[in-house]
Amino acid sequence: MKQITLVTILAAAAIALPLVIGENPYITGILISVLMMAALSSAWNILGGYAGQYSFGHAAYFGAGAYTTMILLTNYSTLNPLICIAVGIIVASIIALITGSIVFRLRGHYFGLASIAVAEIVRLSVLNFDFTGGAQGILLSDVSLWGLDLNSKNPFYYGMLLVLVVTLGITAYLRTSKTGYYLQAIREDQDAASSLGINLSFYKNKSLLISAALTSVLGSLYGLYIRFIDTSAVLDLRLSIEIILTAIIGGVGTLWGPVVGAFLLVPLAEMLRSNLLGDALIKAGLVSETSALGIFLKENLAHAHVLVYGIITVLCILYLPKGILGLFRRAK
Amino acid sequence: MSFLQPLLSGILTGGVYALAGIGMSLVFGVMNISNFAHGDLMMLGMYLAYFAFTLLHIDPYLSLVLIIPTAFLFGYVLEKLFINRVINHPHQNQILLTIGLGLIMSNTALLAFTSDPKILTTSYSSSAFNLPGGISISVPLLLSFLITCVIIAILYIFLSKTTTGMALRATSQNREAAQLMGINVAKMSAIAFGLGTALAATAGALIAPTYYIHPLAGHSFLLKAFTICVLGGLGSVVGAGVGGIIIGVVEAMSSTYLSSDWKDVVVFVLFLAVLLFRPQGLFGKMGGQS
Repeated sequence: MKQITLVTILAAAAIALPLVIGENPYITGILISVLMMAALSSAWNILGGYAGQYSFGHAAYFGAGAYTTMILLTNYSTLNPLICIAVGIIVASIIALITGSIVFRLRGHYFGLASIAVAEIVRLSVLNFDFTGGAQGILLSDVSLWGLDLNSKNPFYYGMLLVLVVTLGITAYLRTSKTGYYLQAIREDQDAASSLGINLSFYKNKSLLISAALTSVLGSLYGLYIRFIDTSAVLDLRLSIEIILTAIIGGVGTLWGPVVGAFLLVPLAEMLRSNLLGDALIKAGLVSETSALGIFLKENLAHAHVLVYGIITVLCILYLPKGILGLFRRAK
Repeated sequence: MSFLQPLLSGILTGGVYALAGIGMSLVFGVMNISNFAHGDLMMLGMYLAYFAFTLLHIDPYLSLVLIIPTAFLFGYVLEKLFINRVINHPHQNQILLTIGLGLIMSNTALLAFTSDPKILTTSYSSSAFNLPGGISISVPLLLSFLITCVIIAILYIFLSKTTTGMALRATSQNREAAQLMGINVAKMSAIAFGLGTALAATAGALIAPTYYIHPLAGHSFLLKAFTICVLGGLGSVVGAGVGGIIIGVVEAMSSTYLSSDWKDVVVFVLFLAVLLFRPQGLFGKMGGQS
C-alpha cells in the first residue's frame, strides 16, 4: 500500500513537472535525457538484471528503432510516426531473434563478446549502406502527429515518461510472475534451472524480445525528438556501456535502480558537458580563473565526461558492485 | 591484381595482430579475465613509440627496448591495483572494470594528446621491396613481422623452459592445483597481466609507423584481438599466433575482393561463426557452449 502511494505521488509529480517549470527548453531537455536513459536502462535490466544475461550490444536495438523511423519518414513524409515506431519494433525484434539464436548458446565471456560482435555488425552495415545515409546520418525536416506541436519538447517528455512507466510496469509485473521467477532462476544457476524443466532458450529469448522492443521504441522517439541521427549517436558501443553503467550505479536487478542511476548520471554528464562544474569551481574561488589549472578546466572539462564515466565505472565495480540501492538493502 | 599480394601483406599484418592476440590470450589463460582495455594498451604503445621518435629521436623499432619494460611495469601495477580485486567476481564485473580502465586511458590520451591523428614517418616508411610478378612488400611491415617472430620465439622459450614460464602455464591449466603445488598464483597473475600489456604495447609500437596514431585507435584492435583469441581458442598462445595470421589474411582478402569498408564486418561474422560452430577454437581447450 505504501508503495502504491509513493508511485502515485511520483507519477503525479512527473506529469505536473513541465507545467511547473514552464517553457524552459534547457531543463526540459535534460529531463527528457534522464527519462530516456532511465527507460533504456530499465529495459536492459529486464534482460541483464533479472535474467542475468549482460548484453553489451543494446545500442543495436536503439539504433534499429531510430533508423527504421527516420528512413521511413524521409521516404514517406505523410506516414503516421506511430506506424514507424511499430515497424521499428518489428525490425528490432528480428535483430533480437537472430542475436538470441546465436548468443544464448554461449555463456560467460563468450556471451558478452558475441553481443558486442552482433552490435558492431549492425553498426558497420548501417555505416556502409547507402539507404541509411552512411557516415552522414539522416536529417529529418518536419514531423507531425495529430496536430501536436512536435517542435516543442513537452510531447517528447510525456512520450519518454510513458515508455518509462510501461517498462517499470512490465518489470514490476515480471518480478512476481512465473516468467520473472524463471528468469531469476536462470540468473542464479542456469544448470539448476534447466534441470527443473525451465526452457532456458525460450525464457532468455522472451526477455530479450521485451527488452529489445522497448529499447527500439525509445530509439524511435529519440530520432523524432532530435531529428538527426548517425551511427555514433545511436549505434555506438559507448551507448551500450552507458546503459549498463546507469543500471550498475543504481543497482542491477532492482526495480528502481536504473531510474536512480539515470537521475545521477545524466545530470552529471550534462554538467560536465556544459562545463557547469568547472565554472562552479572557479566561482567558488577554489580555482583561480587565470591559473593554469583554471584555464585547463575551462577548456577541457567539457570533453571529460567520458573520462568521468570511466572513473565512476571503476570505482563502482570496486566499491559499490551492488549499486546505490544495494547499499540501502545491506543497511536494513 | 595478383592473389599473392593480399596474401602476403595479410600474413605480414597478421603477424602483428597475432602479437596483440597472444597478449590477450595469455591474460585470459592465466587469470580467466577478458581484458577489454587491451586495445587501449595498444594505443599507449603507439604513443610511446611516437614520442620516443619525435622527442628522443629513437627509431620506433629500437624504442621497443624501452617500451617493453615500461609497459610490463605498467601492466604489473595495473593488476596489483585493480584487476586482482575482481579476479573472483562475475565475468560482467571484470568486463566492466576493464572497460572503465580502457575509457580512462583513451580519454586521458584524448585530453593530453588531442584528437588530431598523429603520423610517425620514418625514412623508410613508404619504401618497399619489389618482387618479380609485380608484388611489393612494404619495408616497415616486413620489419614488424620479423620482430614479431623474434618476440614470439623468445616468449615460447620463456614459457616452455624457464621456471616462471612453467609456473605461468601451470596456473593457466589449473589455478587451484598450481596453488597447491606452491606456485604463487597472485604473482603469476600480475606477471601475466604485465606480459599481456607489454605484448599489446609492442604490437601498438610495431604498427605505429604504418597506421594513424589516435587516442581511440584501440577500439578497432580490441575486437580484432578478441576474434583472434576466440579463433585460436581463448587461452591458447599457439592458437592466437595462427589466429592472428588468419585474421590478417581474411582482412587483406576481403579488402581486395570485396571492399575495405566491409572487411571488419567479415571479421566479425567469422568471429560469430567460430563461436557457433567451434567455440573451443582451432587449438582451444575450453568451450563456451552450454
